[in-house]
Amino acid sequence: MVGDTWWVNSSTGRTPICTATARFRQILAESGRAAISLVDVTKHFDGSLTTAVDGLSFEVATGEIVALVGPSGCGKTTTLKMINRLVEPTSGTIMVLGADQGSLPAHELRRSIGYVIQQIGLFPHRTVRRNIGVVPELIGWDRERIDARCDELADLVGLERDLLDRYPAALSGGQQQRAGVARALAADPPILLMDEPYSAVDPIVRARLQDDLLALQDTVHKTIVIVTHDIDEAIKLADRVAVMNVGGILEQFATPDELLDAPANEFVASFLGRERGLRRLALRKVADVTPIAGPSVTPGASLSAALSVMDDFATTWVAVAEAEVLHGWLSRETVEGALDPGDPGSTVGDLPLRPFGSRVSPTTPLREALDVIVNAHSRMAVVIERDGDRDRYLGMITIDEVAGGLES
Amino acid sequence: MIADERRSLIWWAWVGDHLDDIWQRTVEHVQIALIAIVVGCLLSFVLSVIAVRFRWTFKPITRVGSILYTIPSLALFGLLIPFTGLGLLTAEIALVSYTIFILVSNTVAGLDAVPAAVKDAADAMGYTWWRRLLTVEFPLALPTVIAGLRIASVTVIGLVTVAALIGNGGYGALINDGLQRSFPTPIVIGSVLSVAFALLVDGLLALALWALTPWRRHA
Amino acid sequence: MNTISGAIDFLSTAENWTGPRGIFARTWAQIWISLVAMAIAAAIAIPGSVWLAHRRRVPNLSVAMVNLGRAIPSFAIIVLIFPFSIRFGFGLGFWPTCVALVIIGVPPMFTNAYAGISSTPRDMVEAASGIGMTDHQVLRKVELPVSLPLLITGVRIAAVTIVATATLGAIVGYDCLGTYIVSGLRRGESGRPEVLVGAVLVAALALGVDLFLDRLERAVSPWNR
Repeated sequence: MVGDTWWVNSSTGRTPICTATARFRQILAESGRAAISLVDVTKHFDGSLTTAVDGLSFEVATGEIVALVGPSGCGKTTTLKMINRLVEPTSGTIMVLGADQGSLPAHELRRSIGYVIQQIGLFPHRTVRRNIGVVPELIGWDRERIDARCDELADLVGLERDLLDRYPAALSGGQQQRAGVARALAADPPILLMDEPYSAVDPIVRARLQDDLLALQDTVHKTIVIVTHDIDEAIKLADRVAVMNVGGILEQFATPDELLDAPANEFVASFLGRERGLRRLALRKVADVTPIAGPSVTPGASLSAALSVMDDFATTWVAVAEAEVLHGWLSRETVEGALDPGDPGSTVGDLPLRPFGSRVSPTTPLREALDVIVNAHSRMAVVIERDGDRDRYLGMITIDEVAGGLES
Repeated sequence: MIADERRSLIWWAWVGDHLDDIWQRTVEHVQIALIAIVVGCLLSFVLSVIAVRFRWTFKPITRVGSILYTIPSLALFGLLIPFTGLGLLTAEIALVSYTIFILVSNTVAGLDAVPAAVKDAADAMGYTWWRRLLTVEFPLALPTVIAGLRIASVTVIGLVTVAALIGNGGYGALINDGLQRSFPTPIVIGSVLSVAFALLVDGLLALALWALTPWRRHA
Repeated sequence: MNTISGAIDFLSTAENWTGPRGIFARTWAQIWISLVAMAIAAAIAIPGSVWLAHRRRVPNLSVAMVNLGRAIPSFAIIVLIFPFSIRFGFGLGFWPTCVALVIIGVPPMFTNAYAGISSTPRDMVEAASGIGMTDHQVLRKVELPVSLPLLITGVRIAAVTIVATATLGAIVGYDCLGTYIVSGLRRGESGRPEVLVGAVLVAALALGVDLFLDRLERAVSPWNR
């Protein structure tokens, strides 16, 4: 069952698809735009009084990350498991890559979908390398190709290569998590399903793993569905978030920004929690707003010019900058103290300048920038961009500019 | 003087003269025991897989196994004789029956002890039920399975001595011979060799477990 | 078949049930020797193992005992005791069989009693001595009650094994249900019905004793089931 990699044209460019059976390849060739779509899916477990999932419908576009969040009992894990048929839907249709997933034998479908679970579930009796190589082995790659792929994946997920030949018991929780992700990606499946993947690790490791996932996604462009109970994790990772309520009801399906800006109802609002505005700010960067010039003079300006600028802006300080170079700042006292009627030629540049403490870069999230501004005596931050080996000064931002960022 | 020597525990001269006999008995004993153990393993494996796949069969299977296990060996032979006569078949049927209970109990317990996360992960990756059982669950259940196999093997090797009473060879024949002739030496030789064989098999199985489970060594 | 009809005939003949060599007598003989052996084995195994476990001594002895006990065939033990019994004037039949049964019954009782006492949770023992119980009181009031279920299981295993093995006593002349089988085998073809009768009776006794003790065990330690 060895084959070459097949490609599919999608909205985000060409997406590689893992080698699978001939039938699956055929199905993939006719794939539509949505990678996964659920149509009126219901799940009712035997012997249970409540419905786990009730008439759920949504789509996941190719290459996007969708998070399913909600309280316990909302059916998010059940929904995830229905995508790769670990749980069979009671009614409704699920299309995966344009094909009805019921049309394939379950185990074949699952070899084309990567799956990461909370408790990781690495096989204790196999080395990490052989764990990662499980699906490639199943679909018939040869040893050399599997080994090469394992090395490549280890680098991709941030796992040291010498851990590959150890047994899972020798790895820490975070390392096992990475191995679990590598295993899910081994056969290069187009879809990745993750069930609370980071709940079992401590917050510091979790943050790092989340950042790694985002970096990974930039490289591999998978369609990812993540189940999490942590709304902040969903907001951080997902392109779109599906908020579900108990009984498998979809309350809102929107981008994190839309979600925070306009929660659909009471439930969503209370699930999101407080400080929605600030959290929206975390989604934007300094580059999204336009900095102002602010109270600023060139080094060649006269001292009285500096004083009048300070009067105009009603500040007790003035910045000294020219073109895109920021030299520093001067306090009013310094300027006034140096003002000598007998020496009208002295310029601002002659005085000792102090460097700015409150700096941000264009990639700084606005929420962090707000923190810098609030802590600065001057109530503003300077925007500096690192360009090669020099710093470019782009202007200043104040609270007004930051708040304006929420309006776009 | 010969009478005195005869009554002593081990008359070494006799041993020296009868090495061929002793060897013959060894071969017989090993054969009978091995057939029972191997057949017992295969049968128990099949029964265990059935018991795991169709949960409701577990209780009946262990109930039958338990009953067979409780019936004393001589009585079980006696129950079979009207149907299968004296000789090897009767002995093997009874001996295999003794292994069922312990092997099935241990195998099922071992398979149940495999962590659910590992089984879920195997399913999620596209393992068929059969492949999962053979390549994931069974290796992980080996410690418990082999523990049961050790017990079953040692028990069977001991019971083969009783099988000598219904027309089979083995060390039991030496013991019985000594009993009939009031001659301690073959009794002692037969007993010691039976114990030695049992301990040897026990040790080999422990070694086999160590060799087959490299992941448990690196803890 | 001849054997089966012969066995049925045997069982339906009243004389075969009564008398010193009848079914009742032999059944009782098997039960009686088991009771005696149980009592002696318990007297040897339990106090010793309880004390050793309490003192946390020689844990490996327990394991070794079980392994060896399982490896040594009961047939061999009975036959080995036999010549010694003759030499020391105890004759054949009851005493060699009884001694052998004691040897067989000690390991399971020892091991289970040991396991029961030594698996008493450490903190329970420490709490007890912490509130001022003497060593002896800790044993009596904490360790023994907690290990009772395991102890009873050990007694039950020993009992079932002893009753079953008593069958082999017929080989060294003890007149019990096993005698039907042994003498039947000696008579060849004509003894077949007797062999079957003996086999059925022994099986029934063994299963009956097991069932009885199972109920007893459950009644005594209901919290365990």
